[in-house]
Amino acid sequence: MTFGDIKYRLNEFWSEFRKERSGLIGLGILIIALLIVIFEPLILPWKDVNTKWRSIDYWQDNSANAPPAWTNAFTKLKAPVTMRLEDAKKEETELDGGIKLVTYTFDYHYTADKAPLDVILHITGHGDIPFQVAIERPDGETIDLAQRFEQGLSGQDIRLSIDNDGREAAFTFVKNYESQEALEQFSGKSLRTADVLFNIAQPGMAKEFKPLKGTYKLIAKAMLLDPENSSVEEPYIVVTGSVSGILGTDDSKRDLFSGLIAGLKWALLIGFLTSAISVLIGVMYGIISAYFGGAVDSVMQFVYQIVNSMPVLPVLIVISAIFKPNIYMLILVMVLFFWTGSVMTVRSMALQIKEETYIEAAKALGAKKSRIIFKHMVPILIPYSFASMALSVPSAIVYESSVSLLGLGDATIVTWGQILHDAMQGAAILKGIWWWILPPGLLIAIMGMTFAFLGFSMDKILHPKLKTR
Amino acid sequence: MNSLLKVENLEMYYFTSKGAVRAIDNISFELMPGETIGLVGESGCGKTSLGTSILRMPTPPGRYVGGKIFVDGLDVIPLPEKEVRKNIRWQKISMVFQGAMNCLTPVYTIGHQMMETLNEHADMSRADADSLIKEYLGYVGLPPEIMGRYPHELSGGMKQRAVIATALFLKPEIVILDEPTTALDVIVQAQIINLLKKLKKQFNLSFMFITHDLALEAEVSDRICVMYAGKIVEFGTNEQIYGRQGPAHPYTERLLAATPRLFKKVEKLHFIPGTPPDLIAPPKGCRFSPRCNKAFGRCFEEEPPLIEIEPGHMAACWLHHRG
Amino acid sequence: MADIILSIKNLKKYFEPHQSFAQSIIGGGQKKLIKAVDDISFDIRRGEIFGLIGESGSGKTTTGKLVMKLIEPTSGQMIFNGEDVTRLDKEKLKEYRRKVQMIFQDPYASMNPRFKIKDVLEEPLIIHKVKATIEERTKMIVKALEEVKLTPAEEYMGRWPHMLSGGQRQRVATARTLILNPLMLVADEPVSMIDLSTRAEILYMMKEVQKELGLTYLYITHDLSTARYFTDRIAVMYLGRIVEIGRADDIIDNPLHPYTQALIEAVPEPESGKVNIIKELPIYGEIPSPANIPRGCRFHTRCPYATDACKTEPEPELMLDGEEHYHACRRAYEIKAERSAKAAG
Ligand SMILES: Nc1ncnc2c1ncn2[C@@H]1O[C@H](COP(=O)(O)OP(=O)(O)O)[C@@H](O)[C@H]1O
Ligand SMILES: Nc1ncnc2c1ncn2[C@@H]1O[C@H](COP(=O)(O)OP(=O)(O)O)[C@@H](O)[C@H]1O
Ligand SMILES: [Mg+2]
Ligand SMILES: [Mg+2]
Repeated sequence: MTFGDIKYRLNEFWSEFRKERSGLIGLGILIIALLIVIFEPLILPWKDVNTKWRSIDYWQDNSANAPPAWTNAFTKLKAPVTMRLEDAKKEETELDGGIKLVTYTFDYHYTADKAPLDVILHITGHGDIPFQVAIERPDGETIDLAQRFEQGLSGQDIRLSIDNDGREAAFTFVKNYESQEALEQFSGKSLRTADVLFNIAQPGMAKEFKPLKGTYKLIAKAMLLDPENSSVEEPYIVVTGSVSGILGTDDSKRDLFSGLIAGLKWALLIGFLTSAISVLIGVMYGIISAYFGGAVDSVMQFVYQIVNSMPVLPVLIVISAIFKPNIYMLILVMVLFFWTGSVMTVRSMALQIKEETYIEAAKALGAKKSRIIFKHMVPILIPYSFASMALSVPSAIVYESSVSLLGLGDATIVTWGQILHDAMQGAAILKGIWWWILPPGLLIAIMGMTFAFLGFSMDKILHPKLKTR
Repeated sequence: MNSLLKVENLEMYYFTSKGAVRAIDNISFELMPGETIGLVGESGCGKTSLGTSILRMPTPPGRYVGGKIFVDGLDVIPLPEKEVRKNIRWQKISMVFQGAMNCLTPVYTIGHQMMETLNEHADMSRADADSLIKEYLGYVGLPPEIMGRYPHELSGGMKQRAVIATALFLKPEIVILDEPTTALDVIVQAQIINLLKKLKKQFNLSFMFITHDLALEAEVSDRICVMYAGKIVEFGTNEQIYGRQGPAHPYTERLLAATPRLFKKVEKLHFIPGTPPDLIAPPKGCRFSPRCNKAFGRCFEEEPPLIEIEPGHMAACWLHHRG
Repeated sequence: MADIILSIKNLKKYFEPHQSFAQSIIGGGQKKLIKAVDDISFDIRRGEIFGLIGESGSGKTTTGKLVMKLIEPTSGQMIFNGEDVTRLDKEKLKEYRRKVQMIFQDPYASMNPRFKIKDVLEEPLIIHKVKATIEERTKMIVKALEEVKLTPAEEYMGRWPHMLSGGQRQRVATARTLILNPLMLVADEPVSMIDLSTRAEILYMMKEVQKELGLTYLYITHDLSTARYFTDRIAVMYLGRIVEIGRADDIIDNPLHPYTQALIEAVPEPESGKVNIIKELPIYGEIPSPANIPRGCRFHTRCPYATDACKTEPEPELMLDGEEHYHACRRAYEIKAERSAKAAG
């Protein structure tokens, strides 16, 4: 087959396929999915989700079980959205004694009705550096929140959480406005730093939160005691809100949208690989069984029956429990069961093709068995098996999810099934954390449907039996 | 004598995505009681289309474009489908479809399939239908046990007999036979032809006999209608076509020359190079002109009308226009 | 003695009836062998067109496949070009396949619908590793297409089989067989699926090619009407046996076996005046199953001239009449007399 032939066949196929509405919908979704996978790095809000999904540190700035940010649209009291502030104004001043002071100022526009949960400064440094964090409120008040002296830094990430490190300062600030007795009702411990910082400064502020809206300046200062040998870089601030991201977070503070996007490629990979390999095996198996016939056929049919009657899921679970397999092992195990899916159709079609005169003609010309199988039978059957391939994609995705659902999936990647599994573990349903359950569930269903749509449409076009009915 | 069937200026086109296929293009003829008209022509000339049109069931995307079909004096084209099914199809006209014997469903018995056709066209109790089927199986020379048999258990000849019996159930006056013997061996073909002749006499039938084999037509048809590219090019009696003087239209002449003869030793077989034209855009002038070795200027420009060249003998060829 | 290219001696092919896997293990059910070819012998001469004629079910295709070595004979011998080819190993078989080629009944079915004409014609060259370079192969393909008058060849090479008419497809099928320069062609009903107007065209082309290249044909058909023009000699086959064999003219003008007579009478002739006549066919019913071949003369169940001897006596062997006209009817001369008496009175 030359390129031109393939183009002709594809044109022929396309002219039929374009009449299938459900197939076109499936194709559309698939193309979108592929685009998402290709542009994943651009789409991901959390760039390192693929490697850091199970890292507690990576997610620690988020709030746990935060609903999606857009839920604000449906609530009266707007919650602050978790956000990351990166554009800092940098100032360097020389102090006496060769000391250099580096000041970063971040602007935070606070408009919510509830206080953020925390404000966290991240910065990396080298050498011995004292740090200081302050906040300048819209009402002109400046609060020095925390300071810390880090020694012997060599590029690691410094994290300063005001909720922890600024509690003292916050308490001191409240004291300016509240009477002693009012303060006594609280212990300093129960006071949340952010509730103070974003509150209108007035008596009663310890009891009641009244948001002070406006632009806050978050000021981070680093003193380079020995500017030759020390430096700071890449400061950023995370304001931890109580709603977060496109799809919220789970109880481990992980951003679900990032997880689901990262899981998409695995869903596609599991689906494609499992179905492609198993269909390829199935096609060859069916053809060989049909072509050689007789005893070969009988034995092969026997093996087929046995494999076919084995329940996939239990075996898959047992294997996963014993071996803790990685994703490729899992795919391999699924292939071991899935190849039977196309065998019977292929075999019966191959039986028909085998009797075709052109096969006999090829034999009469002296063609070897391998030529007849690979030149005459396989090319005709492969297109038909695309259909059964598409049809087995959903079950592969669902099976992986099921295995993951039992906590037996590949622990080095993110899959939709695992997210769903964690949701079950975290009693997401009981707690009403719908954003943890619905999106992965829906995505699995949509992916399955997409391929089912594609499969049915291709089947209708490529499978002559359906076509004549 | 009044004609049983009268076709007047019939036009039936297939409206395909590539354009209208003019499969029946202005055709007129009459079928008399007890007569057999033979319809001949190469494949793709519109013979089957004419058959199904007369039965008032053109295959989609075929639609009537013009003309009338009178069955016993009544134009059947405007009739509602229900009416046709109740009073015309199978009651007055029935058809043995091309390749019907190979289209029997392999999973049902012959009896079941005959019963189905019967139920579609008549209200009848099961017992009545059963005995009717057995009766007609007898007429076509098949034992009643056939009813319980599956198609693959029967020979081609037996299947064709069953199909013929099915066409006769409701005592039609006209039977359209579309290539009823094309897939059969000569001996079986001769047996089926004999059977058809016998049935014709027994039930006083009129036939439209469709085939591409002029030799076969000579044995069954009183009058021969030669079709080419959706049109009648010659129409004459058996004697006029096969007699000493030979056919009038070059197409018929060449078809006849291409028919192999058992008892005539020939050195070179004749044939008609090329194929019938595409009926979406048929050639200008006479449609046969591009393949005709007698064609001259006028043939490529003007379409010849079908005219009577001697009593009862019509031809559409400029060679027969004098002056 | 004439130059014999293929000699077939007492060839038999018995098929086992289909059985399910379980049945074949248990061994239940009486097996009745299907005697599709039941002891046939004939010689095909170099450069002739040999016709094999009979109804469907008489074993013609099976004979053709035996000659093509697509199936193995149950017993008997085949000698091709002086060499015993009854059993061949892989090497020898491939060599044989180069020399003997086949044209199938359905030209469309005999080509892979996914192959372009070029690929169809290239296949034998690839299989037999004939020419290494594409240019040389293309040259041969063009030549073969020109041989069957499909010109300009380049235009046809790029087409798919479904883009050709039935006649053109059969030309391509013929070209495919010619490309390897075979000695002999087996043509199994090559024109029965083709419109009458084109049938003559194909036969004419095949005959021209045969004359030009000095080929030998085994031409299989159920239709005697093309045989006189096309064949040199004819063997008439009935239910796995050859019942009459001889020169085409002798067989058609002077048929001796009643089965041959029936085959001849059944052929319609394009002459007027027969419309209302029911043809008298000297044959009853339909061909029996080769799993149940009648005892005695196997034709007696359908023969209007059969006597008790035909039913009980052993089957007659082929008998010589005249120069090279053989028949297997013990009553041939009586029947001939009976028939001419009837025709006269
Ligand atoms: N269902 C159909 N749709 C479109 N074209 C058709 C259909 N049936 C027949 N035709 C076209 O109509 C013409 C006449 O066909 P048909 O009546 O079958 O001829 P015939 O019976 O003489 O072989 C042909 O060109 C054929 O391709
Ligand atoms: N592979 C087979 N298995 C069983 N029976 C067969 C097989 N091939 C042919 N036959 C039978 O052998 C008989 C002769 O068949 P065939 O050679 O095809 O006859 P023909 O070509 O003259 O019509 C038929 O009755 C057919 O059913
Ligand atoms: Mg037709
Ligand atoms: Mg055959």
